[in-house]
Amino acid sequence: MIGLSIPARRQLKSLLWTAASAFCATGVSVVLLLIMGYVVREGVSALSLSFLTQLPRPVGVPGGGVANGIVGTLIIVGIAAMMAFPVGIFVGIYLAVYSHRHLAKSLSYLADVLAGVPSIAIGIFAYTLLVAPFHHFSAVSAAFAFAVLMVPLVIRTTEGAIAVVPRELREAATALGAMEHRVTSKVLLVAARPGIVTGLLLALARVTGETAPLLFTAFGSQFWEFDPNKPMAELSLQIFTYAISPYRDWHQQAWGGALILIVAVFVLSVFARLSFLWRGGAGIGRGTD
Amino acid sequence: MISSLSKLHRSEAEPAPLPAENRAAAIAELPVKAQVRNLAFHYEKFQALRNISLPLYDHRVTAFIGPSGCGKSTLLRTLNRIYELYPGQRATGEVLVDGENILAPGLDLNLLRAKIGMVFQKPTPFPMSIRDNIGFGIRLYERLPRAELDDRIESALRRAALWDEVKDKLKESGLSLSGGQQQRLCIARAIAVEPEILLLDEPASALDPISTQRIEELIAELKTDYCIAIVTHNMQQAARSSDYTAFMYLGELIEFDETERIFTHPKERRTEDYITGRFG
Amino acid sequence: MADQAIVGGKQSPAGYRPRSIRWPDRILSALFTGGLQGFCFLFLAVVGGLALELLWGSRLSLRAFGIGFLWSTEWNPVTQQFGAAPFIYGTVVSSTIALALAAGIGILAGVFLAEFAPRRLGIVLGMLIELLAAVPSIVYGLWGLFVLAPVVSGWIGPALQAAFGFLPIFQGTIYGVNMLTASLILTLMILPTITAITRDLIAAMPMRYREAALALGSTPWEMVSKVALPSVRRGIFGACMLAYGRALGETIAATMVIGNRPVISASLFAPGYTVASVIANEFTEATTNLYLSALIELGLILLIVSLMVIGIGRLMVRLFLR
Repeated sequence: MIGLSIPARRQLKSLLWTAASAFCATGVSVVLLLIMGYVVREGVSALSLSFLTQLPRPVGVPGGGVANGIVGTLIIVGIAAMMAFPVGIFVGIYLAVYSHRHLAKSLSYLADVLAGVPSIAIGIFAYTLLVAPFHHFSAVSAAFAFAVLMVPLVIRTTEGAIAVVPRELREAATALGAMEHRVTSKVLLVAARPGIVTGLLLALARVTGETAPLLFTAFGSQFWEFDPNKPMAELSLQIFTYAISPYRDWHQQAWGGALILIVAVFVLSVFARLSFLWRGGAGIGRGTD
Repeated sequence: MISSLSKLHRSEAEPAPLPAENRAAAIAELPVKAQVRNLAFHYEKFQALRNISLPLYDHRVTAFIGPSGCGKSTLLRTLNRIYELYPGQRATGEVLVDGENILAPGLDLNLLRAKIGMVFQKPTPFPMSIRDNIGFGIRLYERLPRAELDDRIESALRRAALWDEVKDKLKESGLSLSGGQQQRLCIARAIAVEPEILLLDEPASALDPISTQRIEELIAELKTDYCIAIVTHNMQQAARSSDYTAFMYLGELIEFDETERIFTHPKERRTEDYITGRFG
Repeated sequence: MADQAIVGGKQSPAGYRPRSIRWPDRILSALFTGGLQGFCFLFLAVVGGLALELLWGSRLSLRAFGIGFLWSTEWNPVTQQFGAAPFIYGTVVSSTIALALAAGIGILAGVFLAEFAPRRLGIVLGMLIELLAAVPSIVYGLWGLFVLAPVVSGWIGPALQAAFGFLPIFQGTIYGVNMLTASLILTLMILPTITAITRDLIAAMPMRYREAALALGSTPWEMVSKVALPSVRRGIFGACMLAYGRALGETIAATMVIGNRPVISASLFAPGYTVASVIANEFTEATTNLYLSALIELGLILLIVSLMVIGIGRLMVRLFLR
């Protein structure tokens, strides 16, 4: 008699592996949640108005904050965005519009590869290009390093966002006699805008909290600094300095800084996803009869 | 005798078929807007069209029919050289529009396409307002005062039988319209630039029967002003709305004639098989 | 005849429009094409500049130590002797352990999310894991230093030593900041990548494979292990290479938990050093040109290795997704 059911041994094996995979997935999630929970717990106790609004104080003097680091982060990331967004968007457009050209194919692969270059190596590049020749650290050099980190992400998301615009839309605009630049700027880019915005936000999230290249570009500062040509404080750099110091109250401040970073990065990531879901909105939800 | 018999059977639809003995002469009299000569088309190494020759008459609707993959869409896409968006696609031979070979190198493609409008299978409203959808094409080559532009937009929408439905929401997105309305918007957009030839690539295949009917009525009205070429996989549609029909099969033109003759007395066996549904 | 009026050649209502391209359009069109290409060349110049700058910056060290730089274990700024072996060892060992752990756990987790998880749970866990991929490495480093390191020296280390103490890798004094802690932190950091890509790859597998396997009487696990995973194995390999590349180049988290001592030690409980960490720690302290050049050469090595690993990974993922 041929058994109609799968032998018990195979069933059991399947069950065990399924359980193992469930264990892995939930285990990973739980550990990661624990990390976040820990950061929130430690961070919240460090947070206060003065933490957000004051300069760091010397060791042993209680209080003080990371206000200059927060502002520095905004300045550096802002300059980096100004450098990276145009390059990333335009190269992305080129890759999508002229996707059949050899240059586009190799650039697309190059962008993929550059996305994986260690940030520390990019930091060295920024150092030799913008720090060493001028003999001083600067926020601009840090912004340049961040820009190099962002560009490949922006390129790939822009390219992808345009590539998924229906072929017919481009054909329709072209068939009206519109030249390439109008087809692209008035139709393709508008249709691809939500995807592009998502990419920009993800790129911002990627560099917010990036520390390694800052060690020898922005360098850090104990004071208010708004001149991009000077060394500047940066939040993740402050966290690093505080964390490896031997002082208890600096450790506490490091947790506070980490919480701010996580919140910032999560907000950026969530907005990135929402912007994609909204899809520019026009017409969605309105009836098609 | 034969001619009077055929008169008895003719439908009310335009155009009136001519008595057989006059037909050849009458065809010669119709102005030819475009003449395709020895056209061949390649996708990379694959030859999609071979040795196509046919006229497109002004103020007439010419339908391209045939089983899928027969090259009817490719033929249409050759007429405004939209295929040039993609590498590896090339056409050889001649397409004379008003006597000028549009396949010739050095021709300005943008101006050519402004002269030859096209509507696609899927409605393609641009992600902008209804007004801007129509204005997009007009503004490409004309700089008009606002009032005049509005007039042009209104007249295009009227001719596309869409004005009454959208006149109160011109600022809303073109995507907010229904599928049938979107397609009429695309037709309005195409005729707003006042082209001379209108290419319709299965314009009703994505629409419901009522929208399809409206599109067909629209085609019948528009042909007084344009030379129209339409690709369709729907033989009833070809029979209803065209004056001439080209039956294509495997990249070749099998038969070209007045629509009524194609559907009543096809000369070719393969045409007959196709229109009677005996085709794989 | 009714037709004759039309045949007579009536024209379109406005007459045929003469058109020409206005000069602003010609300029914009040229600017568009030229501008796009200009940005492409700028991008190329940046990438090329990156490679050339590192090569040029390494020249002193390359000349002084030659290829022996790779296996010399001496790193002594006082005597100006520089060798990369301890850092390469630390980088490769910590990243390889991390990859081994993360691949095993991540692939299973990805399978669960794509195949076995109830729909809602799968979506929630998936979003969570994706979000956690965005957490900055400084945060992982902070947690590793203050939470994981004590756990490793107080619990995990002694437990491993008690069970597997006969192995050289689990012998010796247990430090808190050591190779094992670094490996575990790197594991956590690359897990989201491997999990998410595995899930996407399996979820994208055509339904008919799944149905065919189950219809033949496979158990769910047999379907996964004999059909699903083999059919996406190249993509998963690519994901692992991407993750490996990230681990090799990870700087700040590794620096915080690996102990930063340039020695090669068999024990995972001893401190180590990675290529990226030594650059991070000593770059601003490099007092001589040769010292700085040696650090830049380390950066060059890191660049080449991670480019190779990531290049292969990207190629696999791309080929697979085509």
